[in-house]
Amino acid sequence: MENRSLTKQVVVYVTLAFMLVCALFPLYWMFNTSFKSQGEIYNLTPNFWPKDFTWAGYDKLFEKGFLKNVKNSLVVSLVVSVFSIGVSMLAAYAISKLKFSGRGVVSKGILYAYLMPRSVLFIPLYMLVSALGVSNSIWGLMLIYPTITIPYATWMLISYFKSIPLEIEEAAMIDGCSRARTLRSVVLPLAAPGLAATFIFSFTLCWSEYLYALVVVTKGTDKTITLGLADMIVGDVFAWAPLMGGSIIASIPVVIMYLFTSKYMVSGMTVGGVK
Amino acid sequence: MKIRLDNKLAYLLMSPVLVYLLAIMLLPFGWALYLSFTDKTVGMPAHFIGLGNYVDLLKDPTFWKTVKNTIIFTAVAVVLKSAFGMVMALVLNEKIIFRNLFRVLLFLPWTIPTIVSVFTWQWIYSDVGGVLNYLLLKINAIGRPIGWLAKPDLAMMSVIIVNVWRGIPFMGIAILAGLQSVSKEMYEAAMLDGAGAVKRFFYMTLPSVKEVTILAAVMTTIWTLNDFEIIWLLTRGGPDNGTQVLSTLSYTIGFLNMSLGKAIAIAIMTMPPLIMLINYVTKRSLASAD
Repeated sequence: MENRSLTKQVVVYVTLAFMLVCALFPLYWMFNTSFKSQGEIYNLTPNFWPKDFTWAGYDKLFEKGFLKNVKNSLVVSLVVSVFSIGVSMLAAYAISKLKFSGRGVVSKGILYAYLMPRSVLFIPLYMLVSALGVSNSIWGLMLIYPTITIPYATWMLISYFKSIPLEIEEAAMIDGCSRARTLRSVVLPLAAPGLAATFIFSFTLCWSEYLYALVVVTKGTDKTITLGLADMIVGDVFAWAPLMGGSIIASIPVVIMYLFTSKYMVSGMTVGGVK
Repeated sequence: MKIRLDNKLAYLLMSPVLVYLLAIMLLPFGWALYLSFTDKTVGMPAHFIGLGNYVDLLKDPTFWKTVKNTIIFTAVAVVLKSAFGMVMALVLNEKIIFRNLFRVLLFLPWTIPTIVSVFTWQWIYSDVGGVLNYLLLKINAIGRPIGWLAKPDLAMMSVIIVNVWRGIPFMGIAILAGLQSVSKEMYEAAMLDGAGAVKRFFYMTLPSVKEVTILAAVMTTIWTLNDFEIIWLLTRGGPDNGTQVLSTLSYTIGFLNMSLGKAIAIAIMTMPPLIMLINYVTKRSLASAD
């Protein structure tokens, strides 16, 4: 018995080590490369740590106006997330707490919208923003990103609201609170962690988005970080240091946010189907 | 409390979401469906051509090659993600030191933007200074640097690896959530009865996470089937259409060849299998949510 559990421990830790190396090596390599000079990068024997540590890659990145890209992404992601949480919260409350005819159809429709992939919708949405004259700007993105974030946020919030016992609300209403008051001073505070997590997920969805940005925005000044990064490749020429530096910068906010919300991740991702 | 219908209030609260989704998702989609029966190109008016786009595509060998690639890409990637995800979940379910830290670390590939992981892998794959070739040369696994994205078969394998790398954490965490709901007592009872580790895995662990695994795998299938970024950024569908999938073909035809009608027809043709998959998830999720 002793021996068996020791063998098992070895197997578990070796597997874990292997998975950690596979998961983290590319990230480490991105980090490592961002501080190398162009000459060191094309060295046939790669260094596992930059010999001449340099910020040149980052300097170049900012020369190319990457800050403008960061700002565009920040604005779009914030505006869309705030708007999406605002409207999704109301819809989620209705779906999870109220009895109304057509409830099944509505929740099914939301889930459908959540799972509907971008590759099916990108041409209709491109044509829509063109017809409305908001293509080629972050306004177009602000209009269409909620198609990703609203279904997602609504579905996540439905399960948060459901986890708040009905009795608490009933007690408040028996005490004379109106529905609106109950929602504002009882339900929303209790759902605050869920609202925060949903906001963060919506934000990262917009922040990381590439396909819609690619078809909607072609003008330099309105490009988002994902487009800015893709633009750094000119033909077959890869400026690896700035590209990896930009990748680090694009990753930092989402990684930090995930660190704070990792425990909500599962229920959020698997649309409440996994308990 | 008696059940009473709150129709008015409910629709009032839902109206912003419903109006938005109808106007920005459903209507454009309907419009696009119509345009798939036209010869609409960028900047030109549309003429009705019936099933013309669909017939053209069904007669086009590139389209069929793309369908085949899409199926291979999706099937291989989903199977690998499920298998590795299972391993990840089993390991993280053990009593190990720093378990929470390892969970967060193993989750990182899923959290960073797709485009970032694609560029990082492109650099690893590079045949000039790429670290993969360097390591393989060093252990004498290969004789000279390989262009991982330059030959159709190798390129397909390479894009699958990136997709799998990104997708394992989702499967892993979903299965882990399932594992944690399995009761410890049941295991202890089975161990007392003398059931070995293998038996316990196949007769207890696997059945108890079956539901979760299938649901997560179906969702993963939907996402993999429609993956655009990884393939577009790594290979543009090449070489020689070797990694062309339906999403990249649709983009190429729509925005490089300007044939919007035809590009939409491709998207429409992916709808039937997609709807089946989405229906499955919807049914399962709604059943367990109520």
